[in-house]
Amino acid sequence: MRRETFSPLQAQQVADAFAKHGVDYMFIGKSGAILLGYPGTTQDVVVFPRKDVENGKRIVAALLDLGFSIRGDLEADILRGKDFVQIKNGPFDVDLVFAPDGIEHYDQAKARIDLSSGFPVANIADIIESKRAAGRPRDAIELPQLRAFQKDYEQRD
Amino acid sequence: MRDEWLEDFKEQCKRNLRRSVEDRMRYGFNYVYKPVLDDADWRSFDSMEEYRRWCRENLPEYLGYGELSDLQRQVLNET
Repeated sequence: MRRETFSPLQAQQVADAFAKHGVDYMFIGKSGAILLGYPGTTQDVVVFPRKDVENGKRIVAALLDLGFSIRGDLEADILRGKDFVQIKNGPFDVDLVFAPDGIEHYDQAKARIDLSSGFPVANIADIIESKRAAGRPRDAIELPQLRAFQKDYEQRD
Repeated sequence: MRDEWLEDFKEQCKRNLRRSVEDRMRYGFNYVYKPVLDDADWRSFDSMEEYRRWCRENLPEYLGYGELSDLQRQVLNET
């Protein structure tokens, strides 16, 4: 279904709602890279949450606040922490990636988290590794640019 | 990536890093309808491999979720 409206500040809305409900998470994927300053584009927010039932309940409450419709099987899949949950029935698209490619454990990624943008974002090296491990044509196009960005990002003032 | 494209891209990176986070969002998040992918309220998968297989089998090839070409595989391995 085509969207009638779209807010580019969706990451801020997710961050505010997730903070209100105490969700343990970080942004990942291209949306995370964009928050760090990567000059790419995307339409969806990709979130890497800690996988546990209590955190799942907090995610459901936050998404309901944002205007998503979370019921029945969808709610159960979030609480279960199914590896990948893609939600498009709210004001924007949200991907919940409980087990991103290329990252072994949430706690390891959390130890490397990047808070410099004011948002919890996975380390740029983890973002790149998850894209490399996903191994899709779109990732092969994006990876050389992400690597070039990483060099500038890590040398920034 | 060609050298002149890389230089241009690195200038883009420097410009974007100077932008506020709010401006990065304004420039970075935009909506482009993707057939099939956007035509469901939600979907979930037990593994990322299952998701990638669904993408390969259901999405138009031009969206970039399909099989890797030899060149694309080489790029991934070298990056």
